[in-house]
Amino acid sequence: MKLSLIAALLLATATTARADVTVYSAGPGSLINALAAGFTATTGTRVNVFQATTGKIMARLEAEAANPVADMVISASWGTATQFAEEGLLLDYDSPNAATVPDFLKLPGAVAEGVSGLVIAWNPTSGTPRPTDWADLARPAYKDMVTLPDPAASGGTFTLVEALLANDRKDLLEDLKDNGAIVAGANKAALTPVLQGAKAAVFAGVDYITMDAAAKGESIEAIFPSSGTVIAPRPMMILKSSQNAEDAKAFFDYVLSEPGQAMVAAAYLMPARTDIEADRPLIGDMKLMSNEGAPARDEVLSTFQGIFR
Amino acid sequence: MARGSTTGAGGSRGFLWISALSLGLVVALPALFVVLVAVFPDLGRGSLAAPFRPLWRVLSDPALAVLLRNTLVLGLGTVAVSAALALPLAALRALFRVPCARVWDLLLLIPFMIPPYIAALSWILTLQPRGYLEQLSGVNLAGLLFSVPGIILLMALNTFPVVYFILSRNFETIGARFSDVGRVCGAGPWRAFLRLTLPLATPGIAASLLLVFAMAIEEYGTPAALGRRIGFEVLVTGIENRVSEWPIDLPEAAGLSLVLVLLALAAFAVQRWLLARRDYRILGGKPQPFQKRPLGRWRLPVLALFALVAGVATVLPLLAILAAALGRTISGGLRPDNLGLTNFAELLDLGSGGLRALSHSLSLGVATALLAGGLGAITAYAVARGAGRGRAALDALSLMPNALPGVVVGVGIILAWNQPWLPVSPYNTPLILLLAYTCLLLPQPVRYASAALQQQGDSLEAAARVCGAAPRTAFARIVLPLMTPSLITSMLLVFAVASRELVASLLVAPVGYETISVYIWRQFDQGSVGLGMAMALCTIAITTLIPMLLIALMRGRLSPG
Repeated sequence: MKLSLIAALLLATATTARADVTVYSAGPGSLINALAAGFTATTGTRVNVFQATTGKIMARLEAEAANPVADMVISASWGTATQFAEEGLLLDYDSPNAATVPDFLKLPGAVAEGVSGLVIAWNPTSGTPRPTDWADLARPAYKDMVTLPDPAASGGTFTLVEALLANDRKDLLEDLKDNGAIVAGANKAALTPVLQGAKAAVFAGVDYITMDAAAKGESIEAIFPSSGTVIAPRPMMILKSSQNAEDAKAFFDYVLSEPGQAMVAAAYLMPARTDIEADRPLIGDMKLMSNEGAPARDEVLSTFQGIFR
Repeated sequence: MARGSTTGAGGSRGFLWISALSLGLVVALPALFVVLVAVFPDLGRGSLAAPFRPLWRVLSDPALAVLLRNTLVLGLGTVAVSAALALPLAALRALFRVPCARVWDLLLLIPFMIPPYIAALSWILTLQPRGYLEQLSGVNLAGLLFSVPGIILLMALNTFPVVYFILSRNFETIGARFSDVGRVCGAGPWRAFLRLTLPLATPGIAASLLLVFAMAIEEYGTPAALGRRIGFEVLVTGIENRVSEWPIDLPEAAGLSLVLVLLALAAFAVQRWLLARRDYRILGGKPQPFQKRPLGRWRLPVLALFALVAGVATVLPLLAILAAALGRTISGGLRPDNLGLTNFAELLDLGSGGLRALSHSLSLGVATALLAGGLGAITAYAVARGAGRGRAALDALSLMPNALPGVVVGVGIILAWNQPWLPVSPYNTPLILLLAYTCLLLPQPVRYASAALQQQGDSLEAAARVCGAAPRTAFARIVLPLMTPSLITSMLLVFAVASRELVASLLVAPVGYETISVYIWRQFDQGSVGLGMAMALCTIAITTLIPMLLIALMRGRLSPG
């Protein structure tokens, strides 16, 4: 009985282990699955996907460092790419399809797959006025009705807090705290209470997750604040250790191809290429805050915790 | 238990070796790599540079004292509330004729089948402002939910079945036999229970409370979902923070895990000290029929108590999960036009991978239950009846995974099994999940089996040996059948937990291989909460029904009542 089960497990292994490109990707899972299926349909090469949070992917890569498994990594945090590039882990590949990707979305060894932005995720049935800027959420109308993702658990929120500190707007965070805003775990943990109406808005919601929820019929709206926001490019990189760099390059090209970028746009992310249409505001349409002169990560986090604890 | 156990010593040497070898492979190897990574931060890259630096950083951080205090508050609080919930119920169930006893057993088993991260989310959806409770009744209990007592209460509601099931079996074994003796000698029923039954059940009480404590300090879902909101951080959330978002810090996470392990080992030492002082053998000869007492005029109050606990622990969370699974959107709430079966239809759709994830997890659950059950029985026997110094170490080793957070076990397993010089490795195959689950869940069968063994006098085994049975025959024909009920119970729990384990699965799942929990997590993370809840509901139904059928079959075969 036990033996036959183990044999069955081994058999299952034999059918999944043979694959051509191995990709570790941050969510959304539907996007990477669609990209993999599209690539296989056009080239016949199979793509094996491991999907998790950026943190879990990085933990797995670090634990596997002695014997790497992944050919390619798509993370949700640009910092992973700069660090991997510094450590010399990335294969420098100049994809022909990256010609129309702006320079700030490229590094030697990494090109953005797509870009997400930070928004106010507001529930129109919450009985509160429609906010237009970050500072609105510190007004009495939103008393005790605002959630924030924890910057320690959400790369996007971290980038926004960093930009606020760099632009001397620490008082905004303090006003939010005084107005009863609460810190609620990762992105989804901050959004769920807003969907049910326990809270009215997420300060620092993720745009594509919010738009996707709205498209599914949830009562939620992604609002780009008038004073500007920050973006989070999602770096795509081929590891130097890849045993299968040619197929990995082909998949890299496919993600940056017109059909690949259209799938990125369909997931409500901004395509990295500027010549792809998308049914949402693009980088050129929004005002961006600068992160110039922001303090180091530990200091950003401890300042934030000092305000909210 | 340590005294007078010489009969099995010769025969159990083989068991000791089998157990030591397999525990070494399944538990000690990954744990060793966790220690190594805490000491040598660059181990993953094959370097031994900067030893002890991250460990020192963790231990000298003033925040550690707060984490440690909060962890202790949570662990001890959960133990206290679990015991308060489970003890009276277990005693009533075991010693009296409670109407519909099987139904209560089933209802009280379910909280354990609800994954803690699902339970926490369903309580949030129910109790927060504008949650299901407010939509139905106009009041919300957000104040209780987002508080330290609230977190402790929810965790106790999740873990008390462990105590209830170990203890009701235990009290039943002790039975009326001993308290009848007490009554004959002039003690009242209360006195007999307090002076005889309860003390004789000490091994079961201690073992189950130790399990609850270890589960409470290791559990991530509930404190992460509720504690973050009120700034209540525990060791596990501190560990998860270090591996959940970039930049990650494996060495510090491993260092904090070692603190957690020490905490569990301290609890384990207390348990051993408690048990080593007395003799708890109650099963020394011919079994006697045991008549449960009637409840008399206490019938209704007792029924009300069972109904209250089952209602809060089981029915409410299940209803919340059902409501979320039936809802097209969360913001639509409980309005009739928002309810439907779309989520279930999508779950059963072959393209969505839901069915594949179900079959993966269920087969892994069965394999883990068999492996952990077999290994647990052998280990418990080797520890209880063997000789030599290695036994205490073996016992401690078998408990350790209970205190290791899943994410740390995952990292240890990758480090151990993804070495380039290994000729064959289970890594990146489903077998690695079997190893991870067996490692994480081994404490359950070991605890259950050793509690059963401590109450089995070795005179039965000695009698078998005198009659000419070989040690192996005595084990197979006498010891094993007597601990089978406890062992089966624990294997069912292992099956249930293994088929929904989240944290380690997320990290070590082979590329392209999805389990139930990974599927649910993906829906919660960036998909539809309703679809995740539909999957959760199917999982709870399957993991509850399969064990119940098995138990019903067993009861039918083994005993008439």
